[in-house]
Amino acid sequence: MAVVLFLSVFLIAACGLIYELIAGTLASYLLGDSVLQFSTVIGSYLFAMGVGSWLSRFIGRALVARFITIELLVGLLGGFSSTALFLAFAYTQAFRFLLYALVIAIGTLVGLEIPLLMRILRERFQFKELVANVLTFDYLGALGASLLFPLLLVPKLGLVRGAILFGLINAAVALWSTWLFREHLPAPLLQRGACAVVVAVLGVGLGFGDVITDTADSALYADEVIFARTTPYQRLVVTKWKQDYRLYLNSHLQFSSRDEYRYHEPLVHPGLASVAGARHALVLGGGDGLAVREMLKYPGLASITLVDLDPEMTRQFSTHPLLTALNGGSLRNPKVHVVNADAFPWLEQNDGLYDFIVVDFPDPNNYSLGKLYTTAFYRLLRRHLAEHGVAVVQSTSPMFARQSFWCINETMKQAGFRTYPYHVYVPSFGEWGYVLGANVDWQPPARLPSGLRFLTPQNVAELFRFPPDLAPVPVEPNRLSDQTLVRYYDREWREIVR
Amino acid sequence: MKPTRRRFASAALAGLAPKSGPRIEGGFVFESAGQGLDQGHRLRDHARFASPARREKTEVVIVGGGVAGLSAAWRLDKRGFRDFVVLEAEQQAGGNARSGENEISPYPWAAHYLPVPDVRQTLTRELCAELGLLDGHTWNEIHLCHSPQERLYLHGRWQEGIEPAIGLTKTDAEQFQRFEQLIQELRQTGAFRIPMEEGLQKSTQEIQGLDRMTLGDWLQRQGLYSPYLRWYLDYATRDDYGTHYDQISAWAGLHYFASREPEDKGPLTWPEGNGWIFKRLLRKLGRFVRTGSMAFHIRRENGRWAVFTEQCAYEARCVVFAAPTWLASWIVDPAPPRWPIASAPWITANLTLHRWPDNKGLEYAWDNVIYNSTSLGYVIATHQSLKTYQPQTVWTWYMALADGNAADQRRLLLGGDYAYWQERILADLERAHPDIRQCVRRIDIFRIGHAMPRPAPGAIFHPERLRRARHDGTLVYANCDLSSLSLFEEAQYRGVTAAEHVLKLVSRAGA
Repeated sequence: MAVVLFLSVFLIAACGLIYELIAGTLASYLLGDSVLQFSTVIGSYLFAMGVGSWLSRFIGRALVARFITIELLVGLLGGFSSTALFLAFAYTQAFRFLLYALVIAIGTLVGLEIPLLMRILRERFQFKELVANVLTFDYLGALGASLLFPLLLVPKLGLVRGAILFGLINAAVALWSTWLFREHLPAPLLQRGACAVVVAVLGVGLGFGDVITDTADSALYADEVIFARTTPYQRLVVTKWKQDYRLYLNSHLQFSSRDEYRYHEPLVHPGLASVAGARHALVLGGGDGLAVREMLKYPGLASITLVDLDPEMTRQFSTHPLLTALNGGSLRNPKVHVVNADAFPWLEQNDGLYDFIVVDFPDPNNYSLGKLYTTAFYRLLRRHLAEHGVAVVQSTSPMFARQSFWCINETMKQAGFRTYPYHVYVPSFGEWGYVLGANVDWQPPARLPSGLRFLTPQNVAELFRFPPDLAPVPVEPNRLSDQTLVRYYDREWREIVR
Repeated sequence: MKPTRRRFASAALAGLAPKSGPRIEGGFVFESAGQGLDQGHRLRDHARFASPARREKTEVVIVGGGVAGLSAAWRLDKRGFRDFVVLEAEQQAGGNARSGENEISPYPWAAHYLPVPDVRQTLTRELCAELGLLDGHTWNEIHLCHSPQERLYLHGRWQEGIEPAIGLTKTDAEQFQRFEQLIQELRQTGAFRIPMEEGLQKSTQEIQGLDRMTLGDWLQRQGLYSPYLRWYLDYATRDDYGTHYDQISAWAGLHYFASREPEDKGPLTWPEGNGWIFKRLLRKLGRFVRTGSMAFHIRRENGRWAVFTEQCAYEARCVVFAAPTWLASWIVDPAPPRWPIASAPWITANLTLHRWPDNKGLEYAWDNVIYNSTSLGYVIATHQSLKTYQPQTVWTWYMALADGNAADQRRLLLGGDYAYWQERILADLERAHPDIRQCVRRIDIFRIGHAMPRPAPGAIFHPERLRRARHDGTLVYANCDLSSLSLFEEAQYRGVTAAEHVLKLVSRAGA
């Protein structure tokens, strides 16, 4: 009997410490500065426990019933503490307020537990034995919790489900107390019913812990997340707001379905429509299949080869019903060959010749990506371009990253291309730029395929005119041995992005 | 044994210690019987060698299959002379240009780059053009070191470049400028050139005097005491001469800086370092190379040279001794005077990483150096890869055993077992990469007893060095240690000039 009683002490002590650790950890994760967060959380928690102990003097009667109520409250508050904090962080401005409110509430309730329990047990044990055993098991519980927390709880269960699990332990102690102290309970069924409700609520929470984390995650994106996948290469997230689907790669917006045609039509048609009798096309990057969708408007094309690093990206855009609706199932067209490979080595190892090449890589925001914008890369690209072929390179924003844009133009020139830079306004991106490269003199096409939403033969020519604020600036070309572009890009975007 | 309370407590705590990471595989390379250290020690201990069963007549024997030996072969072959052999003691030719390869990348075992040769370095440029590195005046940028080139871990963060820039006082910065001015003046004298022999005629008394003091003494005289500058110079001398700046001839230490124009691009580098050049030389010249053939005795016999290996005795008109010059005292009969220049022990290690350590701040560079470390940092073998996604990598870690005298350091090098050196390497890298132990899967370690010449004061203008650097007679020396500079260009120059000397002799004899 005694062992069971002291085991309860052990368990409630462990639970108490876990909630404190969860609050401290969450505050450190979400607010940073772990020293400050842990100090203030521990301080206010201990202080609240003192308040609880002091308040225990005002509880005179029905000690067991009160104890059970307190256990259930601790279980509920503590169990859902991390859930509440995550959601508060994602959706409200009141994270700090809720954090300290929860810490003080739980601390006060936990402070009440041990004094009440000691008074309940007073008649069963000698005082010196009682004090010694209760405090021993209290501290042992603290040790157990502090070891369990970092080694098992956080890595295996996570903070949301870990907290709920300990909430369940509090509720279990309450339930179990209805038997242990049944002689003090006039109506144990009432308490058992309450316990059952709390256990059920916490149990449901445990089952939906993942949903809660995802919900909080999705709140960091403004819109509903309908698809999220982490591949070895990147994190893919697709969001939906009304009829607007957006693709983010590593949190960088790739397209918005509302205006992506304003990006993809200019990426493909000025170049491809100008190459008479184009048979073979190549897309580097562009695993979303949207550029390919535009290219399939040319019945004369016999093959389109798409080289994208990430197999998960091309698989999802070939099979996911929402995503294939966006690209019209372009990647499953029999003319299209999808290759999952790193573009630079792939170009080195293959010797195909193409009439039209689209280069649609992520912006050059690090030195690894920067290699795909160097003179060495464009020289290699030229070796794959047919005599009268055309290559088009997505070239970041001439408005926000003017030097970067003109640097790409200059780099292609250095590699031997005749370059024809142009730009277009894409509402979700802003002013966006492309550089078209050819081996010979090039003229914009006189005809375009039918069914385009943005481009007409008349407005194509206008894209090639640059207003004074986008006009060329002096730049150094981007070489493997001196990646000027990554430095331009880093400096220019840092001035804009907060 | 009864467990004491302390033992129990410590055992319990051990379980709570952070995971030390997965087991790391690896061992020492080039150390099995009949290789490297083992071979050298047989010579030193005057062990008995088997008498060769075969005899072979050839016009020229080149002893040593490193860059010097192969450069000699390159020139002989190019001049249409093919009656020669190259004897390489190791199973793998290459010397300091040896390299290895695993499933992730090729990697170097020693020399890992070639500074872009300027227009005066015609020999090196000739080779570069032949290998497709140089087209007219344009360098193939795929082989130039990609951005970002260098970074230094200083005061807890990475900075661009190896010259310290964070936390310098005004005086420190002025001292760097003053040093740069002094170097500029020395550069203009024209006395510091690569190949070094070509600048020596221009050496004034004053410049010769630099060889009579250490670089430390010279700094003292110039009033250059900035700790950052001194660290920087010490890094350079450990890197190029395997010892500290206060041990090295000031002439040699300053040559490092004054012999080259400050370059804005380059160097030329490859995943396997200079092994890339060497493999291509070997492709062309491999048929002349006999590996596993250590020349253990060379003497005059009937007016020709007899060169003994355990497989074969070669009778040759000329010998090009392209192995380390100090070895000649153990091999050539009669033994030449003792070689006056000590050689530095080194350790290099190739680490196979199954993931990259967390990295904050600057991106990984090709060459990554840790300030105030005893090592020289590490070079990333996969840096020159054209892939954008490279989840695994190979790092080559370098350390010269730079303290005190070289022989003592060699005992230290051989005294430490694999576990000891593995721990030294990890502890060094851990300063900048706390999670390195979780990332490394394999560490292979190369202990090099005699990696490069250590030119103490007096070495450069030492009469014995000057004597052996001159090509005279039918046995000529060709190792880069004749220059007292462990540089590809010096090895190439020595090899090629030795070959040209020998060509004159054999054509005269043939005529």
